[in-house]
Amino acid sequence: MSGPELLVKGGGHYVDDITLPHMCHMAVVRSPHARAKVLSVTGGMHAHDLRVLVGGFGEGARSDVNRATLHPVFAADTVNYVGQPVAAVFAADGYAAEDKLDEVDVAYEKLRPIMTIDEALSGPPLHAGTSSNVIKQAWIGDDFVDPASPVVLEDEFIVNRIANNPLEPRGIVADYNGNRLTAYISTQAVFSMKRGLCNTLKLPPADVRVVQADTGGAFGVKSALYPEYVMAAHAAMTYRRPVKWIESRSEHLAASQPGRGVRAKMQLFAGTDGRIDALRADVVTDAGAFGGTTGSSSPFFIAMQLTGPYGITRARVRATSVMTNKPPQGPYRGAGRPEAAFFMERMMDALADAVGKGADEVRLTNTTTTRFTSPLGLEIDASRPFFTKAVTALRYKEKAGRDSAGLCFFVLVPGVTPGESARIRVRDGAIAVWLGGNQHGQAHGAFVKRLLSEELGVAADRVTLNAGDSDALTSGVGTWGSRSAIVGGAAVVAAARKVKAQVAREHGTYTPDALLGGSYDAEVFDARSGQLNSFGANLAAVHIDRFGQVAVRECAAYYDVGRALTPGVVRGQIVGGSVQGIGQVLYEAVVHDADGNLLTKDLFDAGLPIAENAPEFSITIVEHPSPFPHKAKGLGEAPTIGVPPAVVRAIENVSGVKIRHTPVTPEELIEHAEPSV
Amino acid sequence: MRTRFRVNGKDVEVDVEPRRLLVSVLRDELGLTGTHVGCDTTNCGACTILVNGDAVKSCTMLAVQADGAEITTVEGLAGDDALHPVQQAFVEKHGLQCGFCTPGMVVTACWLLSKRTDWTDPELRRHLTGNLCRCTGYKNIIESVMRAQELLNGGHREGQ
Repeated sequence: MSGPELLVKGGGHYVDDITLPHMCHMAVVRSPHARAKVLSVTGGMHAHDLRVLVGGFGEGARSDVNRATLHPVFAADTVNYVGQPVAAVFAADGYAAEDKLDEVDVAYEKLRPIMTIDEALSGPPLHAGTSSNVIKQAWIGDDFVDPASPVVLEDEFIVNRIANNPLEPRGIVADYNGNRLTAYISTQAVFSMKRGLCNTLKLPPADVRVVQADTGGAFGVKSALYPEYVMAAHAAMTYRRPVKWIESRSEHLAASQPGRGVRAKMQLFAGTDGRIDALRADVVTDAGAFGGTTGSSSPFFIAMQLTGPYGITRARVRATSVMTNKPPQGPYRGAGRPEAAFFMERMMDALADAVGKGADEVRLTNTTTTRFTSPLGLEIDASRPFFTKAVTALRYKEKAGRDSAGLCFFVLVPGVTPGESARIRVRDGAIAVWLGGNQHGQAHGAFVKRLLSEELGVAADRVTLNAGDSDALTSGVGTWGSRSAIVGGAAVVAAARKVKAQVAREHGTYTPDALLGGSYDAEVFDARSGQLNSFGANLAAVHIDRFGQVAVRECAAYYDVGRALTPGVVRGQIVGGSVQGIGQVLYEAVVHDADGNLLTKDLFDAGLPIAENAPEFSITIVEHPSPFPHKAKGLGEAPTIGVPPAVVRAIENVSGVKIRHTPVTPEELIEHAEPSV
Repeated sequence: MRTRFRVNGKDVEVDVEPRRLLVSVLRDELGLTGTHVGCDTTNCGACTILVNGDAVKSCTMLAVQADGAEITTVEGLAGDDALHPVQQAFVEKHGLQCGFCTPGMVVTACWLLSKRTDWTDPELRRHLTGNLCRCTGYKNIIESVMRAQELLNGGHREGQ
């Protein structure tokens, strides 16, 4: 894994920087139609050459879905979204491969696509072998009789789809030596890739190695096994030549797995004091054209979190994932957490307005003074002490009055289960470390150095965190769900203690000199389960000009991170995630027209924030230690959860326009905007 | 077409198809993989290089158009073991996370600082609009460029 000193000189080793002898380049023929029958395919590698399905590998992926809903590597009889892979071609370089796309002929018979959740719920099934477009549906929480509450609020919200858009697109180099497949991938999880490749290509685990290239951002999109990876691996094995596939940005926008895309109908019962009596909700995720991705699990995860940091004792949610003719939905930084907070915090603001109280007061009224397990299964510590301090630290009262600031309380539910692996190898005075989850910009090496210098009593510069490699560890999970400092950190500590025990057995007692003078190797899988939830609060203030353009002026955070192992990295994560949260509210979306054509075809249309869009920050890091040995809690997704509701409320406060969705466009605000520039 | 240019102080002659982009020749023919490709529409700026001293997105220029030009890529800003003050400042101020946009950011910053060394924060934000970063939220990037400006104006290393 290249460090910053190398990266600033252009010395990184990203997957597109890999060149192997006799390597060929793959290009992919993609469907121009959102829904069509495939009558024939001539030329290239296609479904007649490889007929396998993908699904169930990566963050939040579910394998317990009807196999008829899984994504074929190559489309066989039908295509179900614009950009779906139909065939692949191979040539000596990328230009020649692009040329060869013209040599593939595909005959389609267009069908009417299903582009909305409502059409999908009422319309005919997309896939043969299914009876409806519902992938999964369930009620969560016990039913209850409507309480006779004086305040009953109902509303509907939509968090639209967003493309992850890491600056480095997806990519793979697959190499087969006749016995063994080695895949170099830009990924968050070499073991998800390995399991996926073994499963789809029917290879024994010993015959597949996945190596992580330097990974140029991911935000969830590089955890899943994609059809293109299976194609490249299959081609490398068939042609006995290394095969490279590098996604173009256009392909990323059309045919990776965008996040969000969730609708919720919310019903809140409350007293005139703002105390919530009960919550009902109907959460539907637009899972896109196929099952088995995060889209199949997303509404259930959202439902579980819906009561947030509040002590709501009656709650029941119907959760549904439904298929449409769009690319499959995947995880984007937060992956269900931001949606849950958006829906609940929107209702909290509505409740404040309905009972004539401050947004802070209704929230604090509903916090808990003891540990609380919600009827939906969310476990939280007493939330009132934390949020009482947060409101003061964020100077909410002052900023609500002066700047019309918005507020958000949230709970971060990190992906602790099932734990993570780590390996420490000591040789020639150097300590090499591998983690089961693979960093892609989070500087895991920094916390690994700190934890090992503490545990082993060695200088940090003796420690190197290596890139992900499925040969270096027996198993591993992945980097996502705000989990790595928690479970990766705990695994590093456990491995360090195992190494110390080895040294002590050999020398009678542990000393750093004995460790560095010898050869040791220890691997652990530190199994963990359950919830290790933490609290956070955000405040935001905006300015809206007469053209309806919103500028976020201030973004303040008050987050419990357990223990800030590397404070500079923590602040960097908060700022970066906050700007992504602002992007969700003001700029970003994946938009298809009624025929299923992608309208947001480049980075400008997809709406990535630029340097001028970033506000002033004030960040308060709070450290309430977790019960883990190194005291860490989750962080990475906190800002994408907490910032959007605060920004949306600030927009509402300034414009007077009720906001029910993201992104918010200037057109919606222009008539209500301030008269001054 | 035979095309000659100078890259990072070395004369280069390549035989390229007229359609080939400059970034492709730099990366694939000359092995200068520090220049990155993050998009196909000239939005992201990860491929920014210096052509005759000006910042240029090398995905928007044909290699044959560079005939006779003096080119500097991120690899050529400083010696093998040295860091340019801009690179040093990016390391010091954590101006990068995943590092993919970084070469383009660094080159654009070098170009800006070659013109002036009295940029203000809002001016830098305006002039870095052509370079996208998805990880950092830009704050540390701007602070890095401000720090580089300080170094170039004779400022000291932090802590000294």
